[in-house]
Amino acid sequence: MRYALTVIFSLMLALVLQLIPVSADWLPWKPNFLLLMVIGWVIFKPSQWGIGFAASVGLLADLVFRSPLGLHVFLFVFIGAAPYLLSGWLIYFNVIHRCFFVFILIIFSELLGNFMYSVWGVPVDYRDVPWGAISSAVIWPFMDKFLVNVHNNRR
Amino acid sequence: MMTIHYYTNWFSSIEKFADRSIRPFYWVANIPSRIGEWADLSSTDRSVIEKENLRLKQESLIYRGQLQRMAELAAENLRLRLLLNATELLTDSILVTEVIGVSPSSKSHTLSIDRGLKDGVYVGQPILDAEGLMGQIISVFENHSVALLITDNTHAIPVQVLRNGMRSIAEGTSDYNNLQLRFLSTTADIRVGDELVSSGLGGRFPPGYPVGSVLSIGKIPGENFIEVNVRPAAEIDRSKHLLLVFTSQDGSRNGNSQ
Repeated sequence: MRYALTVIFSLMLALVLQLIPVSADWLPWKPNFLLLMVIGWVIFKPSQWGIGFAASVGLLADLVFRSPLGLHVFLFVFIGAAPYLLSGWLIYFNVIHRCFFVFILIIFSELLGNFMYSVWGVPVDYRDVPWGAISSAVIWPFMDKFLVNVHNNRR
Repeated sequence: MMTIHYYTNWFSSIEKFADRSIRPFYWVANIPSRIGEWADLSSTDRSVIEKENLRLKQESLIYRGQLQRMAELAAENLRLRLLLNATELLTDSILVTEVIGVSPSSKSHTLSIDRGLKDGVYVGQPILDAEGLMGQIISVFENHSVALLITDNTHAIPVQVLRNGMRSIAEGTSDYNNLQLRFLSTTADIRVGDELVSSGLGGRFPPGYPVGSVLSIGKIPGENFIEVNVRPAAEIDRSKHLLLVFTSQDGSRNGNSQ
């Protein structure tokens, strides 16, 4: 029960962080907190928080981002599948390696997201792709520490 | 699912429910900026506040003087229009509103404001800031509303060049600092620095409000049209307090200003 509440609280925190307004110049640097939280939970508890969880948070992201419903569902499921399949190894990696893994995943997610937006006729700027990934990698160690603590307490 | 959402309104009830549910999160997300504003105000020296107060009083005096001149010109304009048997111009009233949430995505340019059905807000209502037109209302709830900004890629607004009255359509480009005029011929009389105002065509936006100024004009190779980039007059990503415009046509708020 306490574990589920921790997950819900972390998602609510991610949602609030996602909604904090920033100026247009800083918007490309804003990490996708919801996706980071999904990656984190899927890495540390794939049996409980797997693809269905990623799809549910993706639907929430669709409603928050006002994107066509299903776009972030697809994106979160696609990106969430990698940590889901590799979680057995990833939990034994150190934080730097996981940080690099998250960086690569966010780059993929940005590229795929931009491609899908461009299919819907939305003008996209691929030059903004690395910024969100860099800021996500920078905040990942804090998130990683929190998730490791929760995971160890759970044991 | 994406296709259904794109081409139909079947999911609109889900979106409205989500808008309502997410509102408390917007409120929490605004706490840091509120604390920042409060800290800024608290740490400001009394003499600075007094100086600013004096400046604002002087500005108010200047604007009131200009308004008197405007009233005289408006009355003269009305008399001339009556002489020409032209229709009477619509008068606009305004309602001050505050931004309570901004879309977290750079692909969707929307914002939430703290006025809703109880204030008479309606879908399609124009909003502006102190500098120019910002966008229009797309969803109205009991206590808040959602507005689509003129820079959103799905938005277009009829405009005219202030200098010569040439009409065009300014489209959003998903860039907060850029609008584009499309299908202007290479012989069109438009220059860098030209001011654009809303033309009022289509009846959605009242005429005469500043939209932006021409930033650059480029020739597209092999095309018969030029590419005109416009910098929006409104501070799209910075304005905190906005104005909702009610024209007398709406009937809900005749001539009152708040």
